[in-house]
Amino acid sequence: MGFMDRLRDAFRKPPAKEVARQRLQLILKYDRAGLPPNAINAVKDAILNALKDFPFIDASGVTINISEGDTDREKIEIEVPVKNN
Amino acid sequence: MADKVICVTSGKGGVGKSTVTGNLATALAAKGYKVVAIDADIGLRNLDLILGLENRIVYDIVHVIEGVCPVEKALVKDKRTKNLYLLPAAQTKDKSAVKPEDLVAIVESLRNNFDFIFIDSPAGIEEGFKTAVTPADTVIVIANPEMASIRDADRVTGLCSAMGKPEPKLIVNRLDPKKVEKGDMLDAEDVVQILGLELLGIVPEDKEMVSYINRGEPAVLSETSIAGKALRNIAERLLGKEVPFLELKAEGEGILNKIKKLFGGT
Ligand SMILES: Nc1ncnc2c1ncn2[C@@H]1O[C@H](COP(=O)(O)OP(=O)(O)OP(=O)(O)O)[C@@H](O)[C@H]1O
Ligand SMILES: [Mg+2]
Repeated sequence: MGFMDRLRDAFRKPPAKEVARQRLQLILKYDRAGLPPNAINAVKDAILNALKDFPFIDASGVTINISEGDTDREKIEIEVPVKNN
Repeated sequence: MADKVICVTSGKGGVGKSTVTGNLATALAAKGYKVVAIDADIGLRNLDLILGLENRIVYDIVHVIEGVCPVEKALVKDKRTKNLYLLPAAQTKDKSAVKPEDLVAIVESLRNNFDFIFIDSPAGIEEGFKTAVTPADTVIVIANPEMASIRDADRVTGLCSAMGKPEPKLIVNRLDPKKVEKGDMLDAEDVVQILGLELLGIVPEDKEMVSYINRGEPAVLSETSIAGKALRNIAERLLGKEVPFLELKAEGEGILNKIKKLFGGT
């Protein structure tokens, strides 16, 4: 690998530790909630699919998150924005 | 002392539980405390090797449970460090030979005679792990700065909390400052932030470790071992002293070397 490649690599790739940190934060979020890693995306897809018939809903703004509930259970929070026109 | 019974666990195997247990027990005994280290890794006896005591074992923990001998008779006195004792694991039995209530009974029978009781947990999250954690006042989780180890440490933390134990304290083992500086390895700070546990200490990667284990001489007894120094500091923290964390720097990695590397040098 020549100098230019090395230089380019050094600028382009995020450091491995940064990638590890981000991956772990996500993995642990699911592990702690006892959810399989792709669960959220699957739920989101199903919801988007169910919402597509409603023109007053802004499907592009739907967000879905795992957060801690009031009891000792985790909860999935879904935000469905209404289109403002 | 509230934190008398200390279980060292990790989830993932091979991250340094036995090494840390043997060294912390030795360091505290060398300071004059009366210490017993219990090898709870039934079937995979290991702690005896780290302490160099394998030739002195006559009875083991399963003999005690089976009533073959009293616990005092099964304790192996360390050859170097006064006040240090080992309760060996059985090598030929399996995990089911020691139930949580058996270990609790053994620990209770030792409690009044010792200042510290260490329990070296087996890897995993099954019955052997649960048995090792059950008698503990304090749990120490060992993690290497590495994905699988951190994930397993988090799992173990959750299980400890489900068992009603106080939040484990964290030791980050085998941190390589060179790799951290290069951005290839997670720093101790990252591990602490990800796991959200109190940091008890950072033990650097030490290529001499294998030779200490080969000789059966815990690294804490060596003045020159960097890992030994880190482990002695952890022992001090267990005594409630405030010891600053070691400044771990990659050796010979000045800016000049970094530029050289960029140009293809080593
Ligand atoms: N700080 C360190 N630097 C270098 N090598 C280390 C360090 N700590 C532990 N090791 C090495 O890692 C290996 C595994 O250590 P150890 O047996 O203590 O792990 P363990 O968690 O008890 O394993 P198991 O899960 O099998 O019981 C050993 O060969 C040991 O020498
Ligand atoms: Mg071990």
